[in-house]
Amino acid sequence: MNKEKISLQEVADLLASKASVSKRVAEDFLKVLFTTIEDSLLAGETVKIKNFGTFKLHWNEPRKSVNIQTGEEILLAGYNKVIFVPDVILKDLVNEPYAHLQPVEINSDSSEKANNEENEVELDPLRIFTEQASEIKDLISEIQALSSNTRPTISEEVTQPEIEVDEIAELTEPQQIEIQPSELIEVENVIEEDIPDIEPEKTKVSDDAEIDDSTDDYSPNPFLEDIKPLKKKKFWPWLLITLLIVGATGTGLYYIYPPANKFVNNSLILLEINFKSFRETASFTELLNTVSKWVSPSPKEIPALETIIIPKDSDSTAIMPNNQPVDSLQILFDTPRVYPVFIASERIRSGSRLTKMAKRYYGTPDFWVYIYEANKDRISNPDVIPSHTLIYIPKLDPRLIDATNPRCIKKAKELHDLYVKK
Amino acid sequence: MNHKELIAAMASKMNAPKSVVADLLETTIATFTEQLVDNKTIGFQSFGNFEIRKKEERLSVHPSTQIRTLTPPKLVVNFKQSAILKDKIKDLPHHE
Repeated sequence: MNKEKISLQEVADLLASKASVSKRVAEDFLKVLFTTIEDSLLAGETVKIKNFGTFKLHWNEPRKSVNIQTGEEILLAGYNKVIFVPDVILKDLVNEPYAHLQPVEINSDSSEKANNEENEVELDPLRIFTEQASEIKDLISEIQALSSNTRPTISEEVTQPEIEVDEIAELTEPQQIEIQPSELIEVENVIEEDIPDIEPEKTKVSDDAEIDDSTDDYSPNPFLEDIKPLKKKKFWPWLLITLLIVGATGTGLYYIYPPANKFVNNSLILLEINFKSFRETASFTELLNTVSKWVSPSPKEIPALETIIIPKDSDSTAIMPNNQPVDSLQILFDTPRVYPVFIASERIRSGSRLTKMAKRYYGTPDFWVYIYEANKDRISNPDVIPSHTLIYIPKLDPRLIDATNPRCIKKAKELHDLYVKK
Repeated sequence: MNHKELIAAMASKMNAPKSVVADLLETTIATFTEQLVDNKTIGFQSFGNFEIRKKEERLSVHPSTQIRTLTPPKLVVNFKQSAILKDKIKDLPHHE
């Protein structure tokens, strides 16, 4: 750094002009200042000047050193030294150009830090769990407070799937314990037969709207929805083990005992058919839920929890769509569509496309098939529509044209293939 | 010796009133500061040099927490005693 050095003389000149005194006075003053400081330092005192800093004596201890030429050890005597410690004000003034800079902590891979992070990660699931627990506690107390105003009625929708699930749970239990494959098939059959019988009964009961007990047992539970995934995780290994045992003994019997072999072959086909149809009514997730239910060690507690939930009617219905749309959509797909209501009509011009209309009215071009279906009598070939044909845009069930549901899209695609190939 | 004592001592030496000395000292210090901020070295042959030095930025590691910190650069005032002052002070007995 190229530094300009100013001497006592120059400082005196500056001082004289600033304080409007003669140069001689300024020079004298500076000399007196330094001699005074010197004197007091020599007297062993520190000198403090406001807004500037402190002069003090510092004792340097005697130390050993080595003569460079001879290599002899020599003792350097201790000595005094004047040091200057700038005042905070001076310090800040001087450092102004860099005052805005702050020390920056650098993220290092030091072991200490890594350990801390690991600890945090380990604690995380535990913390989440405790949070959930407290949440559940809060909700339960809330519901208990509400339960004094309990409404005994619950919708059919609410009861049905739960009954199914419970029945299946009961019936599948022996299946897992007794390892006979034939038994297994019987159970499957029983499930198929039993469900329709039980359902109407229960729904009637709920229609009467006076049975607290049944509602207690079968109303779905928002908490269970939360708890189930946990249980599932926990008991999957057990489920796998039991399934393995079943499979092993089954195959053992199959190979050792010829009549069993024959029987199993026949019944396996039956089972397959049953299972397929069964799957349509109860979704796979429901199956999983049942499995997790009967595997869980405390099934008695579940109904108790469910009792509490009833007043939350809105909640229970809110949960229903998880299970319900699977069936209702399928029904919707399978029932032949009729188009009694139309929301608009449009005349075909050159450049008109059914897909464009579908995009305009339903949001997704894939649903053009429904427009075609509604206008089948006027359109012979969906690809070639004579101009000036009046097209009626049917009002559709919003569930059918839910663009966010992949099943709706899939159904529309299927129909598309059907009509375009034709 | 604090600020007031210094002024008193100087006033008695100069045969001047304390208020005048105080004013002069204040102006002197202001001048010094001004010059230093302008990055000028102030040299007094009998006493020593005042100058600004730049301390470069550096990485510091906290000894116990191992946290590494980037310390920004800064400007500091440095005083170096002159040879004359050094000789005068050097032979002072050390009082512990």
